[in-house]
Amino acid sequence: MKMNNKPNQIRVGFDVGGTFTDGVLVAGTEVLAKTKSLTTSDVTSGIVAALDQLLETSKVDKSLIEMVSLGTTHTTNAIIERRNLNKVGIFRLGAPATTAIPPLTGWPQDLIDAIGGHKNVFIIRGGSEYDGKDIVPLDERAIIEACQKIRGKVDAVAITGVFSPIISDHEDRAAKIVKEELGPNVHITLSNRIASISILERENSTILNASVINVMRQAINSLKKAVSNRGIKARLFIVQNDGSVMSADYAVDYPIFTMASGPAASVRGAVYLSGIENGVVVDIGGTSTDVGYIVKGFPRESSITVNIGGVKTNIRCPDLLSIALGGGTIVKQKDGKVTALGPESVGYNLVRLAKAFGGPLLTVHDIAVATGKLKEKLDVFDTNYVVDRKKIQELKPETVKTADALIKNTLEAAIDKMKTTADAVPAIFVGGGALVVPNKGLHGISEVILPRHFEVGGAIGTTIAEIGAYAEGVFDLEKEDRDESIARTIEQATDNATLSGAVRSTVEVIDVEEIPFTYMPGKREKVRIRVKGKIFEGAK
Amino acid sequence: MSVWDVIKQWKLRETDYQIIDHQAIKEITLGASILATGGGGDPEIGLLWTYKVLNEGKPIVMVDPMKIPEDVLVASMACLGAALVLTEKPPNENVLNKAIAKLETYLGGKLQATIPIECGGVNSPVAYAAAGELGVPVIDVDGMNRAFPELQMTSWVTHGVHASPTVSADDRGNITVIDTGDDDLLSETICRRVAMAYGGISWIATYPMRGKEVKETSILYSQSIAWAVGKAVWEARTKHLDPVAQVMKSLKEKRNVKGFSVFKGKIVDIHREFGGETTKGFTLGKVIMEGIDEYKGSTATLDFQNEWLNLLVDGRVRCMPPDLIAILDSETGEPIRTDIMKYGYRGTIILIPAHERMRTGKGIQIFGPRHFGYDLDYQPVEKLCADLWKK
Repeated sequence: MKMNNKPNQIRVGFDVGGTFTDGVLVAGTEVLAKTKSLTTSDVTSGIVAALDQLLETSKVDKSLIEMVSLGTTHTTNAIIERRNLNKVGIFRLGAPATTAIPPLTGWPQDLIDAIGGHKNVFIIRGGSEYDGKDIVPLDERAIIEACQKIRGKVDAVAITGVFSPIISDHEDRAAKIVKEELGPNVHITLSNRIASISILERENSTILNASVINVMRQAINSLKKAVSNRGIKARLFIVQNDGSVMSADYAVDYPIFTMASGPAASVRGAVYLSGIENGVVVDIGGTSTDVGYIVKGFPRESSITVNIGGVKTNIRCPDLLSIALGGGTIVKQKDGKVTALGPESVGYNLVRLAKAFGGPLLTVHDIAVATGKLKEKLDVFDTNYVVDRKKIQELKPETVKTADALIKNTLEAAIDKMKTTADAVPAIFVGGGALVVPNKGLHGISEVILPRHFEVGGAIGTTIAEIGAYAEGVFDLEKEDRDESIARTIEQATDNATLSGAVRSTVEVIDVEEIPFTYMPGKREKVRIRVKGKIFEGAK
Repeated sequence: MSVWDVIKQWKLRETDYQIIDHQAIKEITLGASILATGGGGDPEIGLLWTYKVLNEGKPIVMVDPMKIPEDVLVASMACLGAALVLTEKPPNENVLNKAIAKLETYLGGKLQATIPIECGGVNSPVAYAAAGELGVPVIDVDGMNRAFPELQMTSWVTHGVHASPTVSADDRGNITVIDTGDDDLLSETICRRVAMAYGGISWIATYPMRGKEVKETSILYSQSIAWAVGKAVWEARTKHLDPVAQVMKSLKEKRNVKGFSVFKGKIVDIHREFGGETTKGFTLGKVIMEGIDEYKGSTATLDFQNEWLNLLVDGRVRCMPPDLIAILDSETGEPIRTDIMKYGYRGTIILIPAHERMRTGKGIQIFGPRHFGYDLDYQPVEKLCADLWKK
């Protein structure tokens, strides 16, 4: 396979999931140590414990570690639990347009309260038309007056201007005024840096981003401290939603970009471990299976709005199909007949509740033991895969056969939904549950690849020293040259990749997307460019 | 004036109107999005606007068209322009009030109700939000019982009512009066140019007419039809029933028409073409679907011009405009729109006969297959699918 990194460069990566925190320590493409432990409620202590375990197992010279990266759920948890959120000053630049739907419309009330309520919301005259003209000139006076009202009452400010992804002048100007008025300690998030056209979802994403700045800052600071206390001088990176990484200092300003990083890291890890750049990735855990599709090494993006904590956002996320199928998924029976899979799972109680461990419940794990799919204990698990073999032997052959067929059908249907071609494609299986599902004779799959270290695929995915970035613009192809428009957008995406930590000369384009405007004469279209770049200059 | 004053003035009984709440507008909009035949835009903005109106305690009431006085003045309120611009620039809450005030001055009369123009994700809820903001009722009719790309493509025009005068407004308070007499195509052309000049989106008050004309030229009970379709899908979701079968059932009950479920498949190819000035500025294209389940081995080809236009299954024409084509997600019943469809989407194609008032000779001329550039004579979907009756 292609090597993305220098042979001896040592990198450490963590993937924090709902149940497990996985960690790996790698040199080049060689995995020197791996760990899987239960996620702690504060998240950080679990990561630090995993780090210590990796250092102890591998016994590497700490000073040789060049990169530490983290895929984390800190910010998602904070929003879902409405915990430690910033009070946010909300500015929309768009009046007299947009007033029919004010900011925070449709938000859950407890989340509105947690970020400071409606009193910090202002719709200011300003914003742009799609062609870059002002809707009206920006009302700077109104911004100053609003700042006076919220001074000392907010930790962060979210600014969203109409059509700012195309022309950001009003947002930039408003940010300057807010900074002058409220000082450097109030963090400012601009919507044009967060997401694309579709103001309500972008505004929601921007406000959520502003609300978790402090949560992210604290998570990064404590990790930085833990790392430097151990004599590690590595650069710190955070996994973002496309599965690539961004520098920790950049991530402090854009915590919203980590919301879907977990499954994305698994997809990237699968690509890295298998060397396959186009195909299906199946990430099987204890409770669920995520099916993703990889195009040129990156997860295909979803075009559907993403709901975070009850709020619709349009942040770019991988297109994943999540189904209730994992090692702990309960096989339901009625009158001795298999009726359904899940959706309930025993989760990390597998070792207490599943039949293979002497428990009362029949799970997907047990079927895998009965059919002989599970034959050995994985290093990262403390318990053997079967403790009470008698309970497995007692299962009726008919039950095992029906359940196995049902698992296979469920998996095949999910894979087929994600495929965009009728041709058979390769599938890469990763995750702690990769061995519990059928991997032979799957419809529409040319071959199933179970790469080495598949059980910590997500953590390995975080150690890939690659940065993804994007940019977009709207062009009138009757007035502007198509190639030139695309070139300009590529330049902007390259700037963005460099800002988040990539070496400029390594940046390459992975996707060019053109979307026409409907119900409007002319040849206007939106151009969206995705690029990737490397973190280390010398990397092959 | 409040909507209750109008109800009182018209001497309506409680059975003559229905109160529209959050759930009702959700169901009406969902049903309208299905009848929008792949077009009509994203319902989000219109729905949120309607919720805001309801949350402010402004009542929204839908009235039986046959119970309204013959001499009342009504008009249609709609958004006209680029759907993508709307998602970035929601309206000023008073934009339609201003358009209406100007139309009233121009006509020298007071508008007493709104009539939705079409079934669509944007314009269906917008008609309700506007009525709520104005304090007037919505009449249970529209001009299409589907969505079409142009202003003049209505049963109103084919029955002698005109899209003129039309007042077009923007968020800044700019107002344009378009009076083209009986030239409805010119009204459409000017309206679209005005929308462009405003910045891609305009808000119009159009098709002023009297109660008598509403009864004689509209698609009657169009709102109730959309509501029934939406309710059917909603119920299918909560009770885990087949949404396609439920939609068919609702059409049979509400309109006494038979819909056809003609294909189930997966989008495997999308060709989009640009429409310049010459093609009136619409997104044109073709979608190819590959059959699944009982349709394995079959191929469906759909043309679209914002809305789905024409359907071929294995090379055989199965539906042409103005009959309706909808692709429903087989599990959720959510319609698949031409502006958001992508490779790999799976759905069931259903065909619905257009309303009788859309099938007149003049209607076929204005929005039949030849208008959209097909060298085909219109044939109703019942005939094109006659061999499927037994299915």
